[in-house]
Amino acid sequence: MTLWSLGLVRGVVGQIVGFAAGMLLVIVSRLLFGLDPVWNEEPALVGGIIIGSIGFLIGVGALTDWFQWMRGIETPLHHGPPHGRPAWTRYFGVDYNHKVIGIQYGVTGIIMLGIGGMFAVVFRTELAASGFQFLDPANYNTYLSMHGWAALVAILLGIGGMANYLVPLMIGAEDMAFPRLNAFAYWINVPGLFTLLMSLGYGWDGGWTVYPPLSVLGPVGYQFTFWAVFLVGLSSILGSLNLIVTILRMRPPGMSLFRMPIFVWAVFATSLIQLTATQFIGQAFLMLSFERLLGMGFFDPNKGGAPILFQHLFWFYSHPAVYIFVLPGLGIISEILPVFARKPLFGYRWIALSSIAIALVGFLVWGHHMFTSGYGEYLRVPFMISTLLVAVPTGVKFFSWLGTMWGGKLSFPTPMLFVLGAISVFLIGGLSGPILATTATDLFLHDTYFVVGHFHATIFGGFVFPFFAAIYFWYPKITGRMYDETLGKIHFWLMTPAFWVMSIGQMSVGVMGMRRRIADYDPALGVEFGHLLVTIAGFTIAFSVLLMIYNLLHSAETGRVAGNNPWRSRSPEWQIPSPVPEHSYASPITVVGEPYDYGIPNSTYVRMAPLTAADD
Amino acid sequence: MPKSATDIRHFIIAGVLVAIATVLMDLLLKALLPMPVQGSRQAQIIDQLTSWHLTLIAFLFSLVVVIMLYSLFVFRKSADDESEGAHFEGNTTLEIAWTVIPLIVVFVFGFFGIRALSDVTRAAPDEIAVNVTGFQWSWLFEYPDSGIVSSELVLPVDRPARMDMTARDVIHSFWIPEMRVKQDLVPGMTTTLRFTPVVTGEYSVDCAELCGLSHYSMVAPVRIVEQAEYEQWLAERSASAAPALANTDAGAETDAQSN
Repeated sequence: MTLWSLGLVRGVVGQIVGFAAGMLLVIVSRLLFGLDPVWNEEPALVGGIIIGSIGFLIGVGALTDWFQWMRGIETPLHHGPPHGRPAWTRYFGVDYNHKVIGIQYGVTGIIMLGIGGMFAVVFRTELAASGFQFLDPANYNTYLSMHGWAALVAILLGIGGMANYLVPLMIGAEDMAFPRLNAFAYWINVPGLFTLLMSLGYGWDGGWTVYPPLSVLGPVGYQFTFWAVFLVGLSSILGSLNLIVTILRMRPPGMSLFRMPIFVWAVFATSLIQLTATQFIGQAFLMLSFERLLGMGFFDPNKGGAPILFQHLFWFYSHPAVYIFVLPGLGIISEILPVFARKPLFGYRWIALSSIAIALVGFLVWGHHMFTSGYGEYLRVPFMISTLLVAVPTGVKFFSWLGTMWGGKLSFPTPMLFVLGAISVFLIGGLSGPILATTATDLFLHDTYFVVGHFHATIFGGFVFPFFAAIYFWYPKITGRMYDETLGKIHFWLMTPAFWVMSIGQMSVGVMGMRRRIADYDPALGVEFGHLLVTIAGFTIAFSVLLMIYNLLHSAETGRVAGNNPWRSRSPEWQIPSPVPEHSYASPITVVGEPYDYGIPNSTYVRMAPLTAADD
Repeated sequence: MPKSATDIRHFIIAGVLVAIATVLMDLLLKALLPMPVQGSRQAQIIDQLTSWHLTLIAFLFSLVVVIMLYSLFVFRKSADDESEGAHFEGNTTLEIAWTVIPLIVVFVFGFFGIRALSDVTRAAPDEIAVNVTGFQWSWLFEYPDSGIVSSELVLPVDRPARMDMTARDVIHSFWIPEMRVKQDLVPGMTTTLRFTPVVTGEYSVDCAELCGLSHYSMVAPVRIVEQAEYEQWLAERSASAAPALANTDAGAETDAQSN
């Protein structure tokens, strides 16, 4: 086995070669057209970004089968690890198995979460006291902006990981509907991530929202961000298309929509948003790129453009995106809660449909991010009402979770703890929402640290805590071994109280007058102590996550053998061996009952056999 | 402890705990979220609405957390118990109730929200108009009636003020925390913000929209003074060197830098 046999290595080489070729292409074109100067940094870099990304995809082999098809060559789907190489190598190259792709998404997500978190820890340390400690404003703004996009990409990868690994298993499907598209959708993220990280070399200062005209006037680092987001967005669209087809077309006999595991509903709702909204941010970021490159004045008032237009395009995706981020996590809560309550999920249909309701209402609320923007004043009223309405289906979820717990036989291993932590944190995020949705109070709170506290609680409660719950819960299924329960509990008991402190601290300094995204603040505001607490809490969270990573790596070798179904779950993936075999189900399965009928003796959800004449 | 999960005693105990927790949470929230000085008429309206929101938050937080904690303690599984919980799949009446009641609350808060919004944005006949220009990374205040250009915003107390604002380069946002209200400044258009200061004192207007390198320091002094002092300030500024420089950008910027 050589290093060259790893797809990732070939991809990186492909990206470097492609980047050079792209720059050369721009230089040669400028020479041929007689443009002066021949070397113009920004167009050359954009050429490098685009051709470099294609170079990566060719190098890694994500396009190989499709090239073969063009030439009329059949490429049968290969199963199992590559011939003559260790099994682990398949994770570093193109592999069509959804479980491998799920792990690839998940691990990349954790790495990006680490990178995004690291930026946060750096500038959080700077904010621990007023005055400049070790960052200057330029670095501060770049790290702040990088934190935003690195973390958001991490979330998209994390939900990609959960959805790709779990959905086919939960519906008893052999794989996703389009395995090659699935691999392509994962791998297109990777050059995107490299591109995003390259922006550090040039800097950019717009925050994740990159509003023009600032993003048009700022440093060239913006171009890397625009294209990175475009690539990751393309992955979202393709991945969600694949999931929708898989969910609609590949369920086993007997699994009507209302008999799907609830997580599948959540992924379905999320995918509907991803498929229909992501184009808007892709388009908006391309427009910014072209405005910079070609002088197209989309958002420049001096050229007939409108700065606020960008905000509409941006939030038309980026608000629904919040529901992309949290719906799968809320699905994880609903999925895990009945297992550790030993009770049916309370109001299954209501929970399932509330996900769809949130997804739909989510399209009608983008204007609440723009209450102070200067768009038509009358618009603030409908956007206020539509936003407040989100509370209704969200409330249905909370109350149904309470109904699930009430009267159960509750036990508290680490995944359950993280589910409960998720509910508590998402509650903080959710309850701090209506006061921001109400225009009059938002005129005060908008762009303060209160908002920072609100959305971090929403994202941690809706994604990070459930993601960690899912990791601990399915870890024995993925590796065949148990994680270390003590370390898991330490992780939980460090992270959760720290997060409460962080949330409340952020909201508190916000109402005291602390603005968002400022590199330094006036000590006269009286927020220094709050910032110190938030910083300590931030470090505690970071440390606890490192504990989890150690636990996951260490237990894969030394953990107790878990067996097929350590949680006594009814879901189909727990009825097969751990780790899941290459072909998950030895034979097609049939659904013969309800997914969450805990408490009914001898009832089952699935039968590990194909539909027979006797079933009809 | 009652055995059945639907025993009325469970609900009575939990209900009492929710009520106690609501009162405590309401006090705690208002202590943890100390608002700046209530410096304008708009601040009074906004703070009233905020207070109602916080009480609602205290109730909903207590409702969910108390019932959750109650379940965790009362319905926890004992060590060797491998049996299942009670089998109930849901309750349509409950589901309808916790859909419809929040819906009503949404419309009630929506109604008060709309009323507050119209109150804080309402125009008044005797407004003092100030033209505000934001640019990286400073502020400029022009008093159109007297032609004064200043890098400090001075306003009389108890008189409605109207800011007619625009930005030269990128988007900025005008925010005096004590006045509560906030409005972006957008290149190529004029936006308006109204507030009526009610407490004299020295404040600052902070840029609340990320605007590049020195966004953090895009701060200008604000003085809310008595009417007489305001008129005196206007007279002094008109008499000083300002008129010669006023109405020209160069003069304005020099003025801004010298302060």
